[in-house]
Amino acid sequence: MRLLIDLALAVVVAVAVGVSSAWYAIDRGHIFGAVVAGGWTAWPEEGGESPDPYELAMLTRTGEVPLGNGEGLRFVADRDASGAALSGRCTYQIAGQTPVARLWTLTATDEAGRLMVNVAHRAGFHSREILRRADGSFVITASPSASSGNWLPVAPVARIKFVLRLYDTPLTTGSQIASLIMPTIRAVGCP
Amino acid sequence: MRRTLLFLLGGLMLSGIIHLVIVLLVPMYASHDAWAEMGRFGADRKFHLLPLPEAGNDAIPGMDPRFVQAECRFSLAGGPLRVTAKMPDDFWSVAVFDRNGRNVYSLNDRATDGPQLDLAVLTSVQLAQIRQNPSATLENAITIDLPIDKGFVLLRAFVADASTLPGATAALTAADCSGTF
Repeated sequence: MRLLIDLALAVVVAVAVGVSSAWYAIDRGHIFGAVVAGGWTAWPEEGGESPDPYELAMLTRTGEVPLGNGEGLRFVADRDASGAALSGRCTYQIAGQTPVARLWTLTATDEAGRLMVNVAHRAGFHSREILRRADGSFVITASPSASSGNWLPVAPVARIKFVLRLYDTPLTTGSQIASLIMPTIRAVGCP
Repeated sequence: MRRTLLFLLGGLMLSGIIHLVIVLLVPMYASHDAWAEMGRFGADRKFHLLPLPEAGNDAIPGMDPRFVQAECRFSLAGGPLRVTAKMPDDFWSVAVFDRNGRNVYSLNDRATDGPQLDLAVLTSVQLAQIRQNPSATLENAITIDLPIDKGFVLLRAFVADASTLPGATAALTAADCSGTF
């Protein structure tokens, strides 16, 4: 009897821990191969020929189609410069310079990476339509209410993300990416 | 007590194996992977325009809303694939994905001479067969020799503003992947 109870316990632990840890790792997907630069995270391997097994499991489960290494590189930010999670109710200033790329786009999404409904019908900016300062740097104001300058409208949801895609960039390796100067995301007001 | 702890330890080791097996099996059993989703747009070996990503209608998750895209699903069992397109003047790129949605090849407009895209996707056996046939015209095509059977090609064209949307859409609609050698 003791033996059976012990055996059942072992099997329950094995299945519970095995399944939940696998689910967590795949759902998070992006826990390995991430490179962080100035608050932005990139996964240079997702567009390569040999993503790790977690990355591959995540790709097949979500049906996401990554950018190939020859196309561009995607960065995601879900926290501001102070480390607080980005909220659609706050106003943020995304300011500075982007790394070398022929073209970039900046998109605001919800927590799951989906585009958000907004009054201005604008999901983001690209590098050629943005208003810049004399030195080439820029300030984008992400806020649920209208703002002057480069206004990136967001929906007033609890969590948002910013996605910066660099197209035709020479950056491919993690060590190059980690030392990049990226635009900073600063919270300027939270109601 | 010690025996129970030993069994628990055994359970934890077994959980590691279960974890690995699940992670490795997910790609085989996933039903909403990119390749399957691309099949929703129409027949294989033909380019289909993907709807522009917009709020509430992300046909394929995580796509850039500033790009128009077209996909062509293929199986190399039916012969090599030839992709021809006259792309717009602005930035564009092309990527080849395998059955699991893994990117196996990609390039952007810098890699080609002008807007004309001519791409040959084939297996090494098919490449060897074509090389033996002197009448074949592979010279001008970018030849990609891939160890894959099924996959899809994705064309992406940047849309700077509303005025360039019709041109980019027309270019992708006219793209062809039905040709062979």
